[in-house]
Amino acid sequence: MKSIRTYLLLALIAIITLVTFLSLLQGYQASISKAQQLFDDNLKSMAAMVANANQDQHHHNSGTQELPPSVFFQILASDFTLLANSKNASKPLLSEYDNVESGYKYMNFNGYRWRTFILKDDYLQRWIITGERSDIRYILAENVVTASIIPIVLAIPIAAFIIWIAIGVGLKPLSDLTRQLREKQADDLSPVLMDSTPEELTSLVATTNALLQRVNDAFVREQQFSADAAHELRTPISILKVQLHNLKNNEDISEEALIPLTNGIERMGLVVEQILSLYRHSPEQASAKQSTIDLCAVVQNIIAKDYEQIAMKQQQISLLGDESCFIKGNEFALEALVQNLVANASKYTPDNGEIQVTLETIPNARRLIIEDSGPGIPEDKYKRVFERFYRVNGDRHESDVLGCGLGLSIVKHIVKLHNAEIHLQRSVQLGGLKVVIDFPEK
Amino acid sequence: MQVLLIEDDSTLAEALAQTLKGEGFAVNHLGYGKLAIEAIKTDLPDIVILDLGLPDIDGTDVLRAIRKISVDLPVLVLTARTSLEDKVNGLDLGADDYLAKPFEVAELMARLRVFERRASTLKHSGLSIGDVTIDSIGHRVLVANETIELSRREFMLLKALMENAGRVQTRDGLESKLYSWGEEVASNTIEVHIHHLRKKLPNNFIQTLRGIGYIVKPR
Repeated sequence: MKSIRTYLLLALIAIITLVTFLSLLQGYQASISKAQQLFDDNLKSMAAMVANANQDQHHHNSGTQELPPSVFFQILASDFTLLANSKNASKPLLSEYDNVESGYKYMNFNGYRWRTFILKDDYLQRWIITGERSDIRYILAENVVTASIIPIVLAIPIAAFIIWIAIGVGLKPLSDLTRQLREKQADDLSPVLMDSTPEELTSLVATTNALLQRVNDAFVREQQFSADAAHELRTPISILKVQLHNLKNNEDISEEALIPLTNGIERMGLVVEQILSLYRHSPEQASAKQSTIDLCAVVQNIIAKDYEQIAMKQQQISLLGDESCFIKGNEFALEALVQNLVANASKYTPDNGEIQVTLETIPNARRLIIEDSGPGIPEDKYKRVFERFYRVNGDRHESDVLGCGLGLSIVKHIVKLHNAEIHLQRSVQLGGLKVVIDFPEK
Repeated sequence: MQVLLIEDDSTLAEALAQTLKGEGFAVNHLGYGKLAIEAIKTDLPDIVILDLGLPDIDGTDVLRAIRKISVDLPVLVLTARTSLEDKVNGLDLGADDYLAKPFEVAELMARLRVFERRASTLKHSGLSIGDVTIDSIGHRVLVANETIELSRREFMLLKALMENAGRVQTRDGLESKLYSWGEEVASNTIEVHIHHLRKKLPNNFIQTLRGIGYIVKPR
């Protein structure tokens, strides 16, 4: 069923039409026979009138009467000779051979069928016939009946229109509910609020709200769990890092023996951080307040904070373009976005390489570009790198770089959160990966 | 340098104490906030490393108490929480710096070195990086033992860069250090000061990160 409204309208109109048609049919027949009866009564009284008006016993030629062509009368003597007649009935219509008696009768003459009434005038011993053309009678009767039927037929479309509106009003609570559910943001698990819930929808609304509540609780639990777990892991990882540093100062242990340990700890730390930020910046968490942020300041601060990593690889980093770049966004999320992209650029770019961050104003958007002189990503992998835990070339990444494949999927989440668009390209200038993000102007 | 380490996780504390000792710090370790406050009252350390998650009282309360005892005592906050609010709170309550767990030892050391340098410009008056020595009591700067003339703002700028050697200082950050609120700052003022400073200092002493800021690297 496509639409309850359409269905109800069609069903109701069909029923109304059918019922109307049946009653009209019945009414039509009844009206027609009533009209015929009326006309018959008319004929009868006309005959009586003629009998009273003309008492002559002899034929007068001058007495032929001019009447409308649709009616006639004749007065016949008892021997069936004409005493008087209307002009259109100049020959006697009865003869002694007929089985003549008073009453209604159909006769054919002058090329038409006539409805006639024969009156036997017992006092003057004569016959009086009055008649009407039956086809005209029929048309007249039909006109009368049709005039009363047409308004009823015309009323059906009007009824359809009113029903359409009435159903719409009746179904409004349902469409309100639908609209509320449709307009809900992915993160919005608040209950559905209705001005007045009709009886039929009460349990639907209640069930929906209960479901939303359960999903919300599950979300909160899941987030709490992952956040708690990740937080709990932070101190142990700190211990490992600090102790590893201490071991490196121990001359009995060779540097090489510690490399796998270093990598393992690094990786563990990364996974924990990225799991945390993945949940923090998922669209369900979009409720985090948005404000006007200077992207330029964010980039400066993040690079300043993480400069150690870049300095260690003696990479050149620069920020070009607009000196201020205000967008609507979540500061913490944007920091994570820039941090991930800059860290990626630095990680996958060899020593002495170059990283370039550019801020540009383009029509209707602010553009953030991060490009590097690293090996880049093959074009056919552009889509896959945004998937969780995907790493180009799997775990045997050619650059031997630590990572867990969550960085770009976090970036994608944050991009989505800001209704921005992200594109990967090859940097013409530096030869490596070029990440372009367009933030819509508010 | 006397470091007071306030950290309830004894394994981390022991490992950290070992590291800090290896770097030439004298370390005292306490696992409870109340004890730490008492210890600071009786014997003021040079640097405090404070974990915000303590078993007895909240780390932010410890921070408040420390600030009542001493305004200048450098406090580095460690925390497993990293929400933005935490960060803002910590710095508002008077932490000098902030480090989220799990941290790199190098990062921790860089921050402690900044404290150290700041303490030395405060107490012992001198701080040297390469050929450049800054004498904050005499308000002089020596390059290869020769005094150079600097304006008050140039001096402040150089001091900020040298105290934070190894860490990038953004232009906005330097501006807010140099100028009080409301004062008009021409957009290129910092560039102009840096330009003048460079002429008086050894080549490449102040390095530029285009569009981002400046850095003095420790030698």
